Amino acid sequence: MSVFAKLWSYPKTNIERVALVLVLAIVLLAIIGPFIAPFDPLKIAFRSKLHAPSLEHWLGTDGSGRDVLSRLLHGAQLTLSATMLVLVVVVAIGCAIGIFSAFVGGAVDNMLMRLTDIWLGFPPLILALGFASALGASLSAAIWALIFSWWPNYARLSRMVTSDILSQKFIASADALGVPTHRKVFHYVIPNALDVLVVQVALDVSAVMLAISGLSFIGVGAQIPAPEWGAMIADGRSYVANGWWIVLAPGLAIFLTAVSFNVVGDMLRRELDPTSRRR
Amino acid sequence: MTETLSPAVPSTAQSEAPLLEIRDAAVALKSGNRTMVSGVSLSVMPREVFGIVGESGSGKTLLTRTLLGLQDDAYVAAGSVRFDGRDIPSQGYAASARKLLGHSIGFVPQDPFSSLNPSMKIGKQITEAIHLAKGWPMGAEKTREAAIRLMGEVGIPEPALAFDQYPDQFSGGMRQRIVFAIALSQDPKLLVADEPTTALDAITQRRVIELILDRSRSHGLAVILISHNLELLRQSVGRIAVLYGGQLHTIVDAGDIGTRVVHPYAEALFACIPTREKELADIRSIPGEPVGAGFGLTGCAFSTRCAHAEPICRTAPLPLNERLAPRFSACILGRGA
Amino acid sequence: MAETPLPMVELQGVSKSFARRLFIQNRSFALRGIDITIGRGEVVGILGESGSGKSTVANIVTCLTGYDGGTYRFKGRDIATFTRRERFAFKSDVQIVFQDPYGSLNPRATVRASVMESLLLHRRDLDKAGRMERADLLLEEVGIPASAGDRFPHEFSGGQRQRIAIARAIAVEPELLVCDEPLSSLDVSIQAQILELFVRMIRERALTIVFISHDVNVVRLICDRVYVMNQGAVVESGPARDVLSNPKNEYTARLLDAVY
Repeated sequence: MSVFAKLWSYPKTNIERVALVLVLAIVLLAIIGPFIAPFDPLKIAFRSKLHAPSLEHWLGTDGSGRDVLSRLLHGAQLTLSATMLVLVVVVAIGCAIGIFSAFVGGAVDNMLMRLTDIWLGFPPLILALGFASALGASLSAAIWALIFSWWPNYARLSRMVTSDILSQKFIASADALGVPTHRKVFHYVIPNALDVLVVQVALDVSAVMLAISGLSFIGVGAQIPAPEWGAMIADGRSYVANGWWIVLAPGLAIFLTAVSFNVVGDMLRRELDPTSRRR
Repeated sequence: MTETLSPAVPSTAQSEAPLLEIRDAAVALKSGNRTMVSGVSLSVMPREVFGIVGESGSGKTLLTRTLLGLQDDAYVAAGSVRFDGRDIPSQGYAASARKLLGHSIGFVPQDPFSSLNPSMKIGKQITEAIHLAKGWPMGAEKTREAAIRLMGEVGIPEPALAFDQYPDQFSGGMRQRIVFAIALSQDPKLLVADEPTTALDAITQRRVIELILDRSRSHGLAVILISHNLELLRQSVGRIAVLYGGQLHTIVDAGDIGTRVVHPYAEALFACIPTREKELADIRSIPGEPVGAGFGLTGCAFSTRCAHAEPICRTAPLPLNERLAPRFSACILGRGA
Repeated sequence: MAETPLPMVELQGVSKSFARRLFIQNRSFALRGIDITIGRGEVVGILGESGSGKSTVANIVTCLTGYDGGTYRFKGRDIATFTRRERFAFKSDVQIVFQDPYGSLNPRATVRASVMESLLLHRRDLDKAGRMERADLLLEEVGIPASAGDRFPHEFSGGQRQRIAIARAIAVEPELLVCDEPLSSLDVSIQAQILELFVRMIRERALTIVFISHDVNVVRLICDRVYVMNQGAVVESGPARDVLSNPKNEYTARLLDAVY
């Protein structure tokens, strides 16, 4: 409980409070969404297609008669778990490379960092397009593509943070004690780098989510009828004139999730900043 | 009053009015109106070399910077400041004080590395200060000459050559001399130096301090020297104001420290310092941690660590009487008075 | 005391040019072939201004940095011949206290954990409860209440952090403690407290101490012998009181004249 109490002490403006509540709500919905969804998100019912929002279908139905709310709730899980999967893998790969590079130093460090620089030179969306066309368009292709193009950010970041930590006096003091490298990594570097990484991940949630939805929207990610938010918008595009709610619901979901994660990320950056915390 | 004047105040000063007179000044932070420093009354005579001592967090830098109008996040919350016979109005205080800083008061900040513009030749920085103080009619050639003369006076070797060099070509001590030259360019009546030598080596430190003292003697410049080093002040100045926890506790004659009973904190602080004369047994630490400015007690900030403290010390406000006397002790128990 | 045949530390003609190491930014300065001998049980001062190379000496003596020329013998053995295991054992014989108490403790470890880490690495005979008990004793010894052991470094003042750093260093019961300007970033009244702690430790523990400082008066008061350094070389050495009252070297004399 104290974690929540601490978290709740971070927001300083009402916007941040709303954003924090939204983030927690979105995460909760992503977990329980499929259990509380009133209808099967995939069940086609042409008889009830394009129903406007009503008491039965809170957010209406789409062009194939599927319940938009149920699709949205299932989609929350799909979109967010895909995002999390990308971030977990990307953080793990990136940090392993970055921390290793900082520890080894010298020529290896230089080589690894130049490699990441070159890698960073590829525009991620183009890379993802190429990937999707090679693997065939699917959500997993989009995930692979994003993992492939996103890790260098974390390699750079963790390399920078690690070498900053390694230059500090408490590392010299650990060296004087003979603290072995693995202990330095897990007891010194990672705990001290965590703040920076948490902030970056919070900010990247929205970026990765937008990328996944974007890829799905242009047809190289999740495929209709999967209830992925980007795919839902793509699907609803053609009904905008007589079924505005089909696009509005997932669009608003993407918008609110992206904005609130961004606000929370910025808030965390401020609150976890060691210089402001010292007081 | 005449017989109590400090030795560093020239004898003619007896009939003179103080150059700087601060009465019951208090400094508060703009955010939250938290009072950080309070009850500061002191007067500095023309040509006097005056010291202010305090540990970190005592409020000495905040007090000085706020009184000079340099601290953006704090303001003078109470009291009056009179410089050279004129009150600095409490309305628009900071702006008025900064105006004085332009021509009557010179300021040497602590860090010689960050107080110069790294991308401007030092000659230009000094001539600019001269122009600001004296206006433009001097003419470029004359200003250059004045700047080079000033650089020579503060001990910069080959000033004509140094004129066209950049700050990073100089050592810390030389940079502090350049800052000093800028502060002197306006021919001020008062020089305020906030820890001017903290970042410097011992040998350089001694030279810079002596340079300041020489200038005071030769040009009748009044100096306020702010330092955490009581021994340095004891050997350099006439009177010392002792700040602790945002309170002014005593103003003592430098010569009385270590020889007579003075205010308990001044005495305890001196007992902490290894000096040339002391043996190990002469050094006594003060138990506990220093209390920072803005601590929020009503009584004496030092009462939590004072060997002589009694319960009343924690609650009774520091006595304010005779605050403008050349020397006083704000100890409610009457110690060191 | 100094009659022990083998000195603890023997630096012979040790030199070091400007280090080009990536992660250790100690503002190290070059050494130009210095000889320093430290006998068992001695308190030896190394006096110098910033840039004199005195911190480089501290880092070489503690093996935190290498050297280019000369030899360093520790208890008679050339450290260049140390095996990996001996190198690790050396770490429990020689410990260091740094100048900056704000940076020298892991900000993400409780102070008890910091002290216990010393024991974890070098006192394999102790179990967790034993380490905890020892750590609390050590904290108490340096004047930190054991009840504060669960707090993190940022909750302590500079002086208290320096005490904790000292507890962490002496936890391994080193024979040699190198103190690199341990007082100079502390407040005046706290400097005196830590000085008293050092004096007490010198009396109570059989410690050999290398005390690196720019403060002539402190060195005169607590050191038996002193080496005065200037620009990477030892310019004068001898009993602290002699050297610091009757300097033979011109630089030492100038330094003494300048000190307040």
